[in-house]
Amino acid sequence: MRPIIVISAFVALIAGWFVLNSGQNKATPITLTFHAQMGDEPLIYDQFIYENPGGQGQFRVRDFRFYLSNLSFGHGGETYAEPDSYHLLRFDNADSAHSITLPEVPLPSVETVRFLIGVDPAANTSIEARGDLDPNSQMAWNWEVGYKFVVFEGALQVGEDVSPLVYHVGFSENAREVEFSIPAEALADGKQEVNLIVDLAKLFDNAALIDMQALPSVKFNRTDADALADNYATMIAPTF
Amino acid sequence: MRWVVLILAAAGVAAAGWVVWDRVRGPTATPIADFSAPFVFGRFAVPPDNAMTQEAFTLGRHLFYDPILSGNNEVSCATCHVQELAFTDGLAKSPTLSGGELDFSSMSLANLLWGQERFFWDGRATSLEEQALMPIQHPEEMGQDIDALMEELRVSGSYRKMFRQAYGSVTPENTAKALATFMRLLISSNSKYDQYLRGEVRLTAQEEHGRKLFMAHPDTKVSLRGGNCIDCHSQFLTSGFRDALDGFSNNGLDSDETMPDGLMAVTGNPAHKGFFKVPTLRNIAVTAPYMHDGRFDTLEDVMDHYNDGIVVSDTLSPLILEADNAPEAGQGTVGLRMTPDEIQAIIAFLDTLTDEAFLTNPQFSNPIEGGS
Ligand code: HEC
Ligand code: HEC
Repeated sequence: MRPIIVISAFVALIAGWFVLNSGQNKATPITLTFHAQMGDEPLIYDQFIYENPGGQGQFRVRDFRFYLSNLSFGHGGETYAEPDSYHLLRFDNADSAHSITLPEVPLPSVETVRFLIGVDPAANTSIEARGDLDPNSQMAWNWEVGYKFVVFEGALQVGEDVSPLVYHVGFSENAREVEFSIPAEALADGKQEVNLIVDLAKLFDNAALIDMQALPSVKFNRTDADALADNYATMIAPTF
Repeated sequence: MRWVVLILAAAGVAAAGWVVWDRVRGPTATPIADFSAPFVFGRFAVPPDNAMTQEAFTLGRHLFYDPILSGNNEVSCATCHVQELAFTDGLAKSPTLSGGELDFSSMSLANLLWGQERFFWDGRATSLEEQALMPIQHPEEMGQDIDALMEELRVSGSYRKMFRQAYGSVTPENTAKALATFMRLLISSNSKYDQYLRGEVRLTAQEEHGRKLFMAHPDTKVSLRGGNCIDCHSQFLTSGFRDALDGFSNNGLDSDETMPDGLMAVTGNPAHKGFFKVPTLRNIAVTAPYMHDGRFDTLEDVMDHYNDGIVVSDTLSPLILEADNAPEAGQGTVGLRMTPDEIQAIIAFLDTLTDEAFLTNPQFSNPIEGGS
């Protein structure tokens, strides 16, 4: 009789430990995959195939990249903020896509996602290399000015004329917050990936409509930078 | 008396044992833990299978300066990479064994731990280990058969010992690793600019003006004047960028018709035609002539190029094409259109990048003649 009691107490203890433990340490793996598109089609580089949204001519894309930072996830009243969360998203690859994977978000599941397009003021004025922030990279203006948040470079062709396009948007006031919810079924049954569309067309054709011939570059002019920032504020959207 | 003999015998056995042990045991390399480099240089990576050690550095330094590495035993790495010239050779194009010249100008070897992780003007080597054996075997550079070289090195007791202490045996792989380690530790971080960044000295008004211009992309819309150098030469390292192929660019030297392939030869991507490795500008005042083919003799020539000598081509950097300090459209020339004072200021800033301590550091000098 005695051994049976001892053994069943032991079994109960182990089973209980497993049940409690799994409830407490529950972590959710998640991958955010960003697909660069121009309108509804995957982004294509280096070809004059896109119409100047606000004027004449066709443009091509040589470079498009941006900082996504301060990524955080919510579940009910809880939030988890990724530490040193500075991601440089670039799309010059075969899939025109960029993935961010967090193998263990310490939440039972993820209901909301929040991030900045741009860099927060504290990091923007620092020369410390954190996450993908690197003061010796192409994204650094210089240490007195901070980082470029969104970079677009290319060229506009009007008739025979080819002219450069340079849109570099930075300054702390131009960081824009993005937030969205994930429907429960999107992450059910072992699904871990959330796909998002980054629609580059919105950078030029959104709240403000840009004629690339009239405004071929944006760098340090605050009004122009603000207009582009309002445009890119809504260029990213999840698809389920 | 018996005791003395016994002690001597024991000592003799111990010494003999140590000699044998020293030859058969593995390498005894001492890691280089705390070499000094400014934190503003940022992250770097050393291959996990080639940790930096004192012994590897010593071996690499000997190999670098030893003409035994060449087929005719007359050319060493240092023939084309001279310390006083920041490890360039002062020639437009490096000499070939047969008396002609190579297609390219020698490159400065400084701060190779940072910046691009590809080497040569066209980026064809993806690590220093891969790079190191290429000049040795190149028929016109050092013209050496690698197996023959291993035989020669194995004949030398001191090389056998240096290899044993650093890595183990005398192999091509270990030769490459040692050369790579020596080159990784060629760190230049004591120029006036570094001292300024550390808050130790002030720049003159002209140098400071030049620094500001170097670090600014011009924007006539907000009356910001700039030389846009930082668009390609990073602010602290002054080399090209590390990420992906960001450190390669077309800075307007040639037209579409005459342009060499550059990076396109490596990637096969026509958008990379005429792209070359953005070189470090550290010690630039002593590395003339300039550019991949040594076409410019002076920094004045270089500045004239950026100021109004840009040749437009399909792959020219849009940042160069767009960077213009004059509000009205240019007539015929493309470039920064700065004033002579501004150009002199940028050159004054470039002069602050010369690091005398690096150019004369005895640890980087020839260990074979004189040095230790
Ligand atoms: C005959 C002259 C010559 C000799 C000898 C020579 N080099 Fe070079 N080195 C050059 C030239 C020229 C280049 C640029 C070549 C190119 O891009 O194709 C170069 C480039 C390099 C680079 C690339 C640097 C960068 O920033 O990408 C490294 C590293 C280098 N050499 C190391 C060595 C080593 C190590 C040796 C000896 C094993 C050596 N070189 C021997 C002429 C020489
Ligand atoms: C669009 C990118 C870009 C910009 C902007 C740029 N450079 Fe360069 N620079 C390069 C590239 C690429 C090379 C190597 C080109 C080659 O040899 O084919 C180079 C080479 C040089 C060299 C010669 C280095 C050597 O070792 O031979 C000097 C000096 C130089 N640049 C200075 C400057 C200065 C000063 C500025 C600003 C006025 C500037 N650069 C702006 C890309 C750039």
